[in-house]
Amino acid sequence: MSTNFPWLTTITLLPLVASLLIPVLPDKYGKTVRWYSLAVGLIDFALIVYAFWYHYDFQNPDFQLVETYAWLPQLGLNWTLAVDGISMPLVLLASLVTTLSMLAGWQVTYKPRLFYFLMLAMYSAQIGVFCAQDILLFFLMWELELVPVYILISIWGGPKRLYAATKFILYTAIGSIFILVAALAMAFYGGNVTFDMRELGMKDYSLTFELLVYAALIIAYGVKLPIFPLHTWLPDAHGEASAPVSMILAGVLLKMGGYAIIRMNVEMLTDAHFYFAPVLAILGVVNIVYGALVSFAQRNLKRRMAYSSVSHMGFVLLGIASYTELGLSGAVLQMISHGLIAAALFYLSGVTYERTHTLMLDKMGGLGRSMPTVFALFTIASMASLALPGMSGFVGELAVFIGFATSDSYTSAFKLVVVLLSAVGLILTPMYLLSMLREMFYGKENTEFRGVPLLDARPREVFVTACLLIPIIGIGLYPKLFTQTYDVKTVQVASHARMAVSTVAQQPLQLFSEVSQAPALNSVTSGEFLGIVK
Amino acid sequence: MEQFLLQNSWWIPCYGFIGAILTLPWAVGIIRRTGPRPAAYFNLLMTIISLVHGFLVFRITLGEDPQPLVIHWFTAADLDLTLMLDVSSVGMGAVELVTALSLLAQLFALGYMEKDWALARFFALMGFFEGAMSGLALSESLFLSYALLEMLTLSTYLLVGFWYAQPLVVTAARDAFLTKRVGDVLLLMGVVALATLSGTLNFPDLYEWAETAELSPTVSTLLGLALISGPIGKCAQFPLHLWLDEAMEGPNPASILRNSVVVACGAYVLIKLQPILVLSPVASIALIVLGTMTAIGASLVAIAQIDIKRALSHSTSAYLGLVFIAVGTQWTDVALFVLLTHAIAKALLFMSIGSVILTTSSQDITEMGGLWSRMPATSIAFVVGAVGLVGLLPLGGFWALYEGVDTYWYGQPWLVVVLLIVNALSAFNLTRVFRLVFLGPPQPKTRRAPEVPWTMAVPMVALTITTLLVPAILQRLYLLPDWTYINGPAVVLLMLSGAIGFALGATIHLNRTWARPIQTPLKFAQDLLAYDFYVDQLYKVTVVWLVDRVSRLNAWFDRYVLDGAVNFVGLASIFSGESLKYSVSGQSQFYLLTILIGVSILGALLTYLVW
Repeated sequence: MSTNFPWLTTITLLPLVASLLIPVLPDKYGKTVRWYSLAVGLIDFALIVYAFWYHYDFQNPDFQLVETYAWLPQLGLNWTLAVDGISMPLVLLASLVTTLSMLAGWQVTYKPRLFYFLMLAMYSAQIGVFCAQDILLFFLMWELELVPVYILISIWGGPKRLYAATKFILYTAIGSIFILVAALAMAFYGGNVTFDMRELGMKDYSLTFELLVYAALIIAYGVKLPIFPLHTWLPDAHGEASAPVSMILAGVLLKMGGYAIIRMNVEMLTDAHFYFAPVLAILGVVNIVYGALVSFAQRNLKRRMAYSSVSHMGFVLLGIASYTELGLSGAVLQMISHGLIAAALFYLSGVTYERTHTLMLDKMGGLGRSMPTVFALFTIASMASLALPGMSGFVGELAVFIGFATSDSYTSAFKLVVVLLSAVGLILTPMYLLSMLREMFYGKENTEFRGVPLLDARPREVFVTACLLIPIIGIGLYPKLFTQTYDVKTVQVASHARMAVSTVAQQPLQLFSEVSQAPALNSVTSGEFLGIVK
Repeated sequence: MEQFLLQNSWWIPCYGFIGAILTLPWAVGIIRRTGPRPAAYFNLLMTIISLVHGFLVFRITLGEDPQPLVIHWFTAADLDLTLMLDVSSVGMGAVELVTALSLLAQLFALGYMEKDWALARFFALMGFFEGAMSGLALSESLFLSYALLEMLTLSTYLLVGFWYAQPLVVTAARDAFLTKRVGDVLLLMGVVALATLSGTLNFPDLYEWAETAELSPTVSTLLGLALISGPIGKCAQFPLHLWLDEAMEGPNPASILRNSVVVACGAYVLIKLQPILVLSPVASIALIVLGTMTAIGASLVAIAQIDIKRALSHSTSAYLGLVFIAVGTQWTDVALFVLLTHAIAKALLFMSIGSVILTTSSQDITEMGGLWSRMPATSIAFVVGAVGLVGLLPLGGFWALYEGVDTYWYGQPWLVVVLLIVNALSAFNLTRVFRLVFLGPPQPKTRRAPEVPWTMAVPMVALTITTLLVPAILQRLYLLPDWTYINGPAVVLLMLSGAIGFALGATIHLNRTWARPIQTPLKFAQDLLAYDFYVDQLYKVTVVWLVDRVSRLNAWFDRYVLDGAVNFVGLASIFSGESLKYSVSGQSQFYLLTILIGVSILGALLTYLVW
């Protein structure tokens, strides 16, 4: 299915172009800008849904809606956009969460023009990251998204905002250097110089080169995802950012790390992935357990959720390392589901903060009486986060679990330890979430709130949360509806990765022979991967 | 018509959920003008529909082969998770029990919760509860059963936390969730392992697989233990039993369901798992050991309770312990028998004490007395429920326990002893409670105690009659033993144990003033039992302490080591920049000196290298 209309370019550039108009909008009472931005967000979301619905074939594992324009031919830089099964759901997620976060920032009274300008710029950058098929363009988009976040945190953040923003920009900028170096190295490797990701994936790199590039990229994306021990920017940034910004931070930006690992490390550097996969699995488990434990000890509401993000993203790593279709599918599903759940939780904590003016759990208590609706929504979001069946988090984590358990790339002892330790994380999750609910809502009202009017959620706030919770419950009740939209692609990536294992395993580099084992060759038939390896 | 009803029997669990959804406009406060009553009526209607539908299907399936219904739920890559429902007479019978008790409990709640402002929310939760339980009764897929067990965990959490502004509820709801969750997550690990090993999660396929499966002892032991831990949590067995005690902070109509059918749901799953548990002898032994410990321990603990609900809820744990023993010894029909009779009798007992609590506004049995003449229907309900529970007169409980005694008579005589002890202790406990609550002189709180309104009296009387009719129902279902083969000594022993318990309970000196025994050993024993053998204290100083310490340690590590290293790099660069700035002094002599030193070092290096 092809179309002549440049859908992806339109979708990517619309918010950016629209944001350029914001400085000249007549806006006397500070209300036009927000309506304008919300309208742009909604139009873009509608365009995305329309384009995917009519011009995207869910059964096709290849890149679709491909557009290529030469941008800087002297450099070899092309404006190449395309989507496939991995990026398509993430584009939808990014658009949904960003639009909702603009609605969430409805009451920004301080410099609203700048705020909405940055939000729209970030909107474009996020979609650009997920759509870019040129590695240099990808890098540009990646960088483009950093700057608005920095400004958004440092102007509208909490008391320690400058520290948090600086930490964020330094961490991610240092990470980006690795992306640039790796991208250039891959582009100039061998005879032909190209920045196109498909062609880069087809190049035949030497193993040492692949391992080096893989390591560089995993550092860059490990900062973003985040992977222990590169996560310490995250609690600061998420904790200090205002609610709309932390919605995007937790809801979308973390997923860029996961997306890039699947897109580059797994798809392009498949041989090196074989050697790094056990490391990723171990780091995933560390993320899950460590994040949950640290989260339990936090006394600040937003920091607690930030560490919970660290814990949940561990499942994505585990799924990526699993080498099975199911595990990879679970990793994508977990990214989507965590994007929705984390956005909902961060938004609700913002809603609470607007009323209580504190994020410290010690100072809250007994809010359930005056804010029953917020209490109910918070409970639903927490239940989703602790992977209750019937909610999307459960399906993603279950798929990762079964995918990892059925993987034939690891010895059963290793699998047992990994699965059991992540189960510990699954027990720790309700501990910190329920104790959070208990300290916030149950019991007697804290005396500090005497005289403070604690109003219940307004319709706008209920609407924003409902928009996030409905897909969570929808996916949880009938996941097939959603997974079948991207399934063909994850199957293809996983089988491609497994085929590479069988070739790598024939020349083993006795490094991980303790935990890795060569799988049976007969499970792979060569016809399946012609879509990507020609 | 029959086919239509059969084909659509998957609707039966949905009715409860639909009822819960229908109450939402009232529960969230969109409709305020009518008051919350209509929400309750919707739920009652839905329960009646599912009761009728279930009954019709039950009539059809009686004597027929089970008919599976398959729903493809999640297909990702090579995994095809199907949800299988089993429309058989046993499953439908369980559904009937659940919906009937749910209907009675809801009617009861109409009176009990009359003045509660959140009546609609309560009924939404009850509908949810009922839907999850009837789904569990029909489920033929381990995966679906697991998911529904989690739903039950959720609804327990929400129902226990119903009065969330009360001080004790604060921890009770959380503890109930966490304890059950530990069991559930371990069960999930078992589910994942089974999916990996056998490639299917539907019970019939699993049974087939279990017959031929060859597992190493370690794997089968781990698998078995993981599978039983879900039911352990759900049925409040040692070591995951503390939540049931705390859960008594919730509203009483929910306690009726929780103590009768909700705990039974966990046991029902366990019974379904039994053919797979055979793979692991350790799991069977664990079931028997844990069941025995809980049965005797909880019976003893119940005796020392002065909270009327807690005195009965510990006895629930004890009876479920008997079910665990039965499953561990592979006598699942004994287990089902005990479950059925216990559910009915316990529901009646909880209705009776619910009436007492509502009338006296108290749960402390030392503050009660003399209610028998003031609340005759309630007193009769308590007596009938108690008799229906213990093995003394030939009502339901007697026949269930007799079945157990008879089964273990030759093979495992020590289990007979366990049964008799539990029977005696529970007779003792119930007599004690009855004397304190209903006999003796009236106390300030029981002096003005009218009988409950009809919404509560009707379900209570109906259930009283049902309990009296249980032997007749058993007769119809051919569950009673043949008179010619009856085991005389067993009957005598059982009745004797009940009689001893009753006699002890009737004669022991009870003082309401709660004067403490003077002898230290007696005092110690009383405290030990009253505080659940101090198990919660034990948890507090071991598991809870450990998790707390480890998480604090990790947080410290994160803040000072990891983040400290990062901040150190930042500080170091600022410091070097700050110190270098003093080199820009503005004095040309200083610059010349710098250049000179630089050039001379460079020259020295060059000469050194060239040399």
